[in-house]
Amino acid sequence: MPEQSNDYRVVVFGAGGVGKSSLVLRFVKGTFRESYIPTIEDTYRQVISCDKSICTLQITDTTGSHQFPAMQRLSISKGHAFILVYSITSKQSLEELKPIYEQICQIKGDVESIPIMLVGNKCDETSGREVESPTGEAVSKRWKCAFMETSAKTNHNVQELFKELLNLEKRRTVSLQIDGKKNKQQKRAEKLKGKCVVM
Amino acid sequence: MPAGMKPLEKFLKKQTTALSRAGGFGDKATGTGASRRRASLSRVVGLPFFRETSPESGPAREVFSPDTEEAPCWPSATADIRSPSLSSDEQSSEASLDTNWTPLPPDTPDNLAQALLDSVAGKRFGNCTEILLDDFMLTHPIFLASDKFQQFLLQQFSPEGPSGEGWPGWEGSERKQAVLSVAFRYLDTYRELLQEEGERSNSFPKDLYLCAVQELSQYPELVEDVLKLQRWTEILHNPTEEEKECRKKQVRPLFRHFRRIDACLQPREAFRGSDEIFCRVYTPDHSYVTIRSRLSCRVGEILALVKEKLQYSEDQPVQPGNLVLVAVTSAGEKAVFRPSDEAVFTTLGVNTHLFACEPSELETLMPLPEEIHWSPGDSKLHDMSAEEVANQLVVFDWELFSCVHEVEFVCYVFHGEQSRWRPLNLELILQRCSEVQHWVATEILQCQSLPKRVQLLRKFIKIAALCKQQQDLLSFLAVVLGLDNPAVSRLRLTWEGLPGKFRKQFQQFESTADPSRNHKSYRDLMASLRPPLIPFTPLLLKDLTFLHESCKTFHGELVNFEKMHKVAEMVRTIRRYRSSQLAVEAEPSPSHLQTKAYVRQLQVIDNQNLLFEMSCKLEPKDM
Repeated sequence: MPEQSNDYRVVVFGAGGVGKSSLVLRFVKGTFRESYIPTIEDTYRQVISCDKSICTLQITDTTGSHQFPAMQRLSISKGHAFILVYSITSKQSLEELKPIYEQICQIKGDVESIPIMLVGNKCDETSGREVESPTGEAVSKRWKCAFMETSAKTNHNVQELFKELLNLEKRRTVSLQIDGKKNKQQKRAEKLKGKCVVM
Repeated sequence: MPAGMKPLEKFLKKQTTALSRAGGFGDKATGTGASRRRASLSRVVGLPFFRETSPESGPAREVFSPDTEEAPCWPSATADIRSPSLSSDEQSSEASLDTNWTPLPPDTPDNLAQALLDSVAGKRFGNCTEILLDDFMLTHPIFLASDKFQQFLLQQFSPEGPSGEGWPGWEGSERKQAVLSVAFRYLDTYRELLQEEGERSNSFPKDLYLCAVQELSQYPELVEDVLKLQRWTEILHNPTEEEKECRKKQVRPLFRHFRRIDACLQPREAFRGSDEIFCRVYTPDHSYVTIRSRLSCRVGEILALVKEKLQYSEDQPVQPGNLVLVAVTSAGEKAVFRPSDEAVFTTLGVNTHLFACEPSELETLMPLPEEIHWSPGDSKLHDMSAEEVANQLVVFDWELFSCVHEVEFVCYVFHGEQSRWRPLNLELILQRCSEVQHWVATEILQCQSLPKRVQLLRKFIKIAALCKQQQDLLSFLAVVLGLDNPAVSRLRLTWEGLPGKFRKQFQQFESTADPSRNHKSYRDLMASLRPPLIPFTPLLLKDLTFLHESCKTFHGELVNFEKMHKVAEMVRTIRRYRSSQLAVEAEPSPSHLQTKAYVRQLQVIDNQNLLFEMSCKLEPKDM
């Protein structure tokens, strides 16, 4: 396996305990666990195939603490797309995303062409909600990125999150093809450039 | 040998094997050029000779007959076996070579301990007590479990103990002081290791202290020792809360991904089994999870952590069942660990990674790809002077070498046989040696420009010369071996570009690495050096291993103490190498810091196949 200049690297950031790992594992493995195991850094790979070549979706789940600033900088510089997660039950966690967003801007320069998704997780916890949807949306407008609320626990919007994220990528064509059905327009677009599908 | 260490193995493999000499050992082995031949020990049947204590007993060497058909096959000391790492100069200063010295005859562990006490109390062995004490201290874990030894000391101290035999005519005070003397020596030697053991061992000074305190009224002269014991109790039993917290919170950087520059630039501290590290464990598709674990962790625990991370839950349709932990080298060689294996992190080769997979997936495991950074010629190394690089190599080697506890050398060889402690820091030195070798090859093979490549060759030869000059034989030989890598040595055009004097110099260096006649060239070089020096550690360990395998530790229940003595001799040699400190450099300049960081964070390719491919790209075959 060659080192992957055609990897597509997605990095997930956010404060400790907001549900980054839960989202990733729900997407990759389809499972969910209540128990909390702090992440240091994990990366999951999923093969997706293009017409002409194979590429790999690589999702890096990072630590919520700030132990490895160098590692964080490295993930940002190598990353293609970013998911910034906060928990709707914690205002603080939304605040904590600011410096991360700023660092992405700093390292990447032009963030408008980079797929970034702001995610409010734990949307199943209606009683504990501290951040209303409009608040999240407002932040995403300010940051010029996309926004979504999810729940890893109930598996709400998890697939959609990744699908949307890949759709935002304009520099190349990567996508998860879930149902295999393409409309005419998509087929025509495919003819012009190679399209990557989940194997 | 750690996984991925093949190149070193090759170097060490070629040697004359005394083991294959016809007739094995014993009286047949004369060896070449053996100037002295130690009398082989005949087994003294019946009562241990040394039990009869009389002050004049002294060296009753007459008991030992030089040859005997009944003797078990222990080797007589030929120059090969006895002194592989000793310089001839050092040999003559050893009392053991004094024909008056005869090590203890084989005996049970308890009796040996008894003999030790007798000696310390001045009852036997005269001026050889220190050597006996040192021998015993360094090697007793091989034949006498720590807690048994501690119990023995406690028993010998207390008056009501089963003291009868062996101690007639002794003053209580003499005996107690002997016990205390040995106890302190033991605590001094094993301090860090006992601290590691925690509850199991750290009550020893306290127990002894309690015994001693009770005797104070009768033996007031013991008061200083009692105070000393109290301090030891504190040292072992109650590390300051701060210390504890500090060690707990800090995760030590071991693997490349988790190195932090600031930590790198600090002087290296010895690793302990209880230190925590981060480690990546991969799955067959090259996903990975990062776990946090103690260095001494069992493989079974590692797998449990991994499973937890990968979130295997009960409601999964297919249970992962048995996951196995595998070390996969960059070339794809695999070594499967057993769940009971411990402290595996430090045994990994430079670019060897841990994988967790199901047994059925073992076959198809693929190693992680290595990154090649083709450069037209401007590797960072070009901006650094050979002197700076060599200096930093030497300084780092000294730090690594100093971190190795003497007991680790013994542990390494007697690994698995009674070894409670893992030779972690020693293993890291071996890893470093491999790293330096591969660094040399990697730098050269990543340099696409021929003239720049020639410059690199020159630089490395110069670096080797400087290391040799500073008596760091570890990096010296590692660089030489790196240049000898077949992927490098086949670069005909590059070598031809070297000025004559450099080629000559390198040829001389190569001959030092010549393993023929049991590494005679290297040993001659060692013989000409005075401490401080760093030996070429892989060879040192090979010698120790050879010693271990060439004669038995036990004969039935009796311990072959002569073998223990030889092992201790080797450790004493190492002690001499480190007996004086290398002068530490003054405030390093910013450029030095860069070089220092570079040297301590080498990124290498250690996949020989890949190196060869790269070599062929640079200078295709049949040019």
